[in-house]
Amino acid sequence: MADNSILLGAVAYDAKVVPIWEGIRDHFKKQGVEMDFCLFSNYEQQVEQLLKGHIDIAWNTPLAHVRVQKRTEGKSLSLGMRDSDRDFKGRVVVRKDAGIEKLKDLEGKALAVGSRDSTQARILPLHFLQAEGVDLSKVKLMPFDTDVGKHGDTGTSELDVLEALHEGRAQAGTVGDLIWVGQQAAGKVDTNLIDTLYVTPGFDHCMFDALPSLNANKVEAFKKGLFAMKWENPEHRKILELEGLKEWMPPREEGYDSLKAALTEQNYW
Amino acid sequence: MIEPNAAVAVDGGNLPFGGGLLALVRPGLDLLAPGGVLAVLTRHRSAPDDLATWCRMEHHELVETEQQPDGGTRVLIRKGSLGLPRGEREDGLDLRPHDGRVEAADMLKAVPFPETANPDTGFAPRGARVEPGGPVYPFRVNDATHSAPPDIAALYDQAINAQWNADTDIAWDKIKSLAKPLQRALGQVFTFLAENELSALYVPSKFIARIHPAYVEVGQFLATQLMDEARHIDVFLKRARSGGGGVGLSHATTSASLHSLLTLEDFTEAAFLLSVLGEGTFLDLLRYIEDHAPDEVTADIVRRARADETRHVHFGMSHVKHALKNDPTMYQRLEAAVRKRSATLAGVGKVPALVQDALTILAAGGTNPEAVAKGHGKFQELLEVMHENRVKRLYTAGFTFDQAQTLSELHTPNFM
Ligand SMILES: [Fe+2]
Ligand SMILES: [Fe+2]
Repeated sequence: MADNSILLGAVAYDAKVVPIWEGIRDHFKKQGVEMDFCLFSNYEQQVEQLLKGHIDIAWNTPLAHVRVQKRTEGKSLSLGMRDSDRDFKGRVVVRKDAGIEKLKDLEGKALAVGSRDSTQARILPLHFLQAEGVDLSKVKLMPFDTDVGKHGDTGTSELDVLEALHEGRAQAGTVGDLIWVGQQAAGKVDTNLIDTLYVTPGFDHCMFDALPSLNANKVEAFKKGLFAMKWENPEHRKILELEGLKEWMPPREEGYDSLKAALTEQNYW
Repeated sequence: MIEPNAAVAVDGGNLPFGGGLLALVRPGLDLLAPGGVLAVLTRHRSAPDDLATWCRMEHHELVETEQQPDGGTRVLIRKGSLGLPRGEREDGLDLRPHDGRVEAADMLKAVPFPETANPDTGFAPRGARVEPGGPVYPFRVNDATHSAPPDIAALYDQAINAQWNADTDIAWDKIKSLAKPLQRALGQVFTFLAENELSALYVPSKFIARIHPAYVEVGQFLATQLMDEARHIDVFLKRARSGGGGVGLSHATTSASLHSLLTLEDFTEAAFLLSVLGEGTFLDLLRYIEDHAPDEVTADIVRRARADETRHVHFGMSHVKHALKNDPTMYQRLEAAVRKRSATLAGVGKVPALVQDALTILAAGGTNPEAVAKGHGKFQELLEVMHENRVKRLYTAGFTFDQAQTLSELHTPNFM
């Protein structure tokens, strides 16, 4: 590997990850930026390899991002995020026939939740419910721990939550708002049966992380390649659509405060 | 705060976001330019939250959410500029029948051809707004000059009204057996016709997929031509196999000539060689067969085919005239195409031998030597008539008289 070539890590949460990163790699090459990628099966491994310096940049979930920050004592570099990563919200959705009118009514009911490591479908909704005064020990949690290690990226556990609600196995559930609105827009939610009870405050999602020791030229080259991608360009659009964004954005940190608090409170660092 | 001007308003009543509200919001936003504001009235509890998430996903700006005195909520959405379609919205068109018809020509008048078209609009119908980001299609004929003569829609209208049925429109029951030599001659003639018709089916079909859909009337016309040729193949082979005979020989000369048509890669060159020169020459051939047909059924068959061929020739003439008028390099290109084909065919000989003989016997009405002598004369006359008419067509298309003479003489001895 040439010295100036960037090695990026991503987690293979879906088969589309390969065309996404091959597309981005080819786009970078046209921009004069040498980049290659390697895929991990889970974020824990990716974080370890980043910290060991085996990869230059990691495409991280919020959970992986804040863990990298903690392990580097806040010195890690944040390089960019998707437009869709900003102001994420979680939803508590309920069956209309379950008699749940307010958050307190969740106590005694079956609440379907996403994977243990899903920020949007488990960690933060439960954090915010507790902050709103719900006694979680009285709620019957129905966890869908699918794809643990993928930090909720597959969305599978959120679809499981919605299915449990549709089928009446659960009276309430927690999902991220992109899945909720996306499934509705696709006509896959029975809106006569299910409605939103509660929307969490906003929080931010994925981030490109690097160690503070990363060569400044690589940092600049990476940003240059990334922000040159445009929705109006058909070649770029194919990749952006697959990766679920319309525009790459600069990083911001305040969107991770609630997650840090939740991890402390849930003892899940 | 200063209230933004809501340009369009939709009343979503109690519709959930994913249960109908979106079906009002999206078309409402579609009416606006970027920066325009859509006011959404909703009484649904969670619709404002869902709209907020959706705006974030689609890059619209949620300007304001305001409780209404009656308990509903008014959400103001400012349209973003991501993925804006190209083109102007079509509106207010009202195609009206005249004499009970709404014709393709009326449509063309209402939505005229663009001078050029972009292959990245794909199969979008002419006039449609096109969302950006679609792939570039492999269309190769992307301008009006090299595809669409002004009368193309009228020709298509004509063609769809002139279709006939090879199964039922021909009095097949009236065919009687002929003397063997005449029957064989007839079988040979129709074999030759069917073979050439096959090329007239294949060659245009190759170009339909290359013509930009902005000029769809060209494809529509060619589709009628394909149907015509399919019917001609059908009816000619049926005639060859009625009355006790069968099909005859396929000559290498014919094969070489048609191969040189099928391998053309330029639409205008193909229209010129196939329709102006080839099908043009066939008009005279079909007239000859009709004049010397041994029975009325045979005459009827070739008369019907000739009526169809007249349209194909008309299309070829219009296309070439239009291209010659708008592209000054076209004369040279077409002349070069004729010369190149002629060079390819050098050494393939004269009119295919058994076809020449069959046409002679057909005109003679049999094998009586005196009649055959007359038939021979008729065939020589046919070749002269073909040449004269080709020159006329070339002259009408825009060539000089001398050019027309030269090009006609270079035309294939296979007629097509
Ligand atoms: Fe024909
Ligand atoms: Fe024809």
